[in-house]
Amino acid sequence: MLRSAWICSRCLFRAIERPSRRWQRSFRTTTRLSHLSENLLTRARAIASEHATLKKQLEKDYDVQTAKRAGELSRTADLLKELERLKDALRELDNLIRDPTTDNELRSLASDDVSDTNSALETTTQALTNSLVPRHPFEDLPCLIEIRPGAGGSEAALFAGDLLHMYQSYCVNSGLPYSLLKYEDADGVGDPNGSDRQLTEAIMEVNGTGAYGKLRCEAGVHRVQRVPATEAKGRVHTSAASVLVLPSFPDDHASGEDFNDPKSDFFIDLKEVRQEVMRARGAGGQHVNKTESAVRLTHIPTNTTVSIQDSRSQIANRDKAWRLLRSRIAQIRREAREDEMRDMKRSVVGVAKVGRGDKIRTYNFQQQRVTDHRSGFSIHSLEDAIEGGSSLEQVMDSVRKWMIDQEVAQLVAIESNNT
Amino acid sequence: MPRLPYHLLRLTSKSPLLQLLLRECRDLESARNELRWLREHAISSVQNAGGHRDERNDSWKPLLRSLCVKRASGKPLQYLLGSEFFGDIEVACKPGVLIPRPETAAAVTYFAERLCSAARKLPSTLRVLDLCCGTGCIPLLFQHVFAKNWPNARDPPHLSLVGADISADAVQLAEHNRLLLQQSLTGRSNAGSTWASRHALDSTAFFQADVLRPEQSPNPQGIPDLMTVLRQIDVPEWDILISNPPYISSQSFHRDTQRSVRLFEPKTALVPPRPGSSDPGTSQDLDEGDTFYPRLLQIAQDVGAKIVLMEVADLQQASRVAALASDTSVWDGIEIWRDHPRGKGPHLEKCRGEFPVRGSGHGRSVVCWRGEGTEWLQMM
Repeated sequence: MLRSAWICSRCLFRAIERPSRRWQRSFRTTTRLSHLSENLLTRARAIASEHATLKKQLEKDYDVQTAKRAGELSRTADLLKELERLKDALRELDNLIRDPTTDNELRSLASDDVSDTNSALETTTQALTNSLVPRHPFEDLPCLIEIRPGAGGSEAALFAGDLLHMYQSYCVNSGLPYSLLKYEDADGVGDPNGSDRQLTEAIMEVNGTGAYGKLRCEAGVHRVQRVPATEAKGRVHTSAASVLVLPSFPDDHASGEDFNDPKSDFFIDLKEVRQEVMRARGAGGQHVNKTESAVRLTHIPTNTTVSIQDSRSQIANRDKAWRLLRSRIAQIRREAREDEMRDMKRSVVGVAKVGRGDKIRTYNFQQQRVTDHRSGFSIHSLEDAIEGGSSLEQVMDSVRKWMIDQEVAQLVAIESNNT
Repeated sequence: MPRLPYHLLRLTSKSPLLQLLLRECRDLESARNELRWLREHAISSVQNAGGHRDERNDSWKPLLRSLCVKRASGKPLQYLLGSEFFGDIEVACKPGVLIPRPETAAAVTYFAERLCSAARKLPSTLRVLDLCCGTGCIPLLFQHVFAKNWPNARDPPHLSLVGADISADAVQLAEHNRLLLQQSLTGRSNAGSTWASRHALDSTAFFQADVLRPEQSPNPQGIPDLMTVLRQIDVPEWDILISNPPYISSQSFHRDTQRSVRLFEPKTALVPPRPGSSDPGTSQDLDEGDTFYPRLLQIAQDVGAKIVLMEVADLQQASRVAALASDTSVWDGIEIWRDHPRGKGPHLEKCRGEFPVRGSGHGRSVVCWRGEGTEWLQMM
């Protein structure tokens, strides 16, 4: 029996009502890649025909520009040829199986072949899609991962520390060299090994080619649901930490980016940067002996501030600060450009790319579950994921596939809009 | 010294080492930085001593503690760690020799960069004399900046650098620093700047000499005077004279200097010796901190220097020294540089209507030039 003497009508309705839609999580599902959209196929065919004409042209007279263009297109053309061949083979096998005159042995062989051909078709389709989707311009670069706690107080800070640990182990497991550029806790610069204070900001640099391509799917808000170490009553808390992944640019012009070229994203006008060094107070010179070497750079137009005090050498700190500032400014500029693009695309494809504001992944400790909200992929081996193991790789892989999906969808939408 | 604020003590109550360091650092941020550097130093020195290669091993902890105790007593961090960063290079430091200061590095870097930008006008051999060289940081940084900024299209001039100091310890340490820098170059690629740097380091030398003592007058400790040394190495002519002499008066030494400087750094490198009445050529109305400058200007004339760069304590001393230089009426131009000659702020202002002042910060250096030096500095 009900204990209360009366129940208000609203509560009553709520009790009998079926769970409303807002309780149901809608997982996004990956679009099937096994069948290419018609638009993409048309695009691939157009590229293939262009490739053919270029090749003919090259036979007549050789030209470096044409050869280069043909080389770019050849991969798509080859893959398309392979795809057509596989499709033909599949059709023939199908005919063979349906033909009543075929004897049983041949039929079983053919049906075996069908599954092989199907899987080959799938990989070829995937490869063709990849070749059509433009490569991310910074994919080959090393990257910077910045981790900051979000909503959730000290628990969020603990979680941010866990995330840092997760990416460090991930880098170790996948053989990516990394270094900790900055580790700051509540008191300022902290020691990543011995600090018991809460993390407020950590920046790690992951070296090795393609690090940005591998890790860019990690950018966004990560959410944790667990009973925190700081909780006395055993309640589950939900907190968040933000992860920012920026491409990191080498010191020199190795990446083809010229810092002195005003058109480059990394160009920073020296006049727009205020450099503050912690100067010795008082008379200076021989009178004092200060060990402070902190350098703070402020990019005035965007109000971006970078402060570095890791090294005893002020020069080294300054170089590091500049590197960080350039990366941040470039990212801001790129994001501004992408926002513009996105606004354009949004009218076509709806919410396509997930901005920084949305949560992208949940780590649920009680269910031992990691769910990525973009790909809708869940895995129930949280311990392994948080230790940077293969489960994390699986999750990240699902996101990478999802990202390609999204780009394909956009491409298709844009193509169909243009025609 | 004022008391440490209570909130700082409470914040660091869990870390006794941090509290020790706070006594000298006075603020949390630098105390934390110093603790980190000291810990790294302690761990690496235990490892280098053949200890376990395991960071979790605690054998470095007693060492760290003793380092922090020493630091709390005021001993400079650079003496504990054994080195200091001077501009782009790291120089070894040890007790008994003045620790290089960042202001000196700023002036020397700016000076060398400016010479490089006038590459067309420089002679094929550039001889640079550094008096009161201490750790030898000035010639070493000078050649480093010079090699780095030299335009690729031209052959760098042959740099001939000599440093002189009255202290035998300093001369020894300077030579040690030269070797360290040379070693650090051996592994590098054979790029132009490395080659130029190696070449310049080969022709760098340090000698013990008494700068203040006039020619041919004996020094009680048997240290030869500068002119005799220069004659011995057979280079009587020098293009550029740089010096960071002791410039603090004994009154200012007790009033203005930081505790760790007063207690742990060599006083001979900070306070000029009191001129004895028997010494010839010293005027009695000279400020005690200025003792070295008339002598330096005299040497500059004797060796035919085209440019002189001298560090001073503040703008007052700078204008006194500039006045001394202008009294000799051999210099075509005199300028005062502040701590950051390239820094923002009024680019060139007239100090009391007499000498132009460049940059931002405290008045730090006096630069005099004449003849070809005008073109080298592009002071047209």
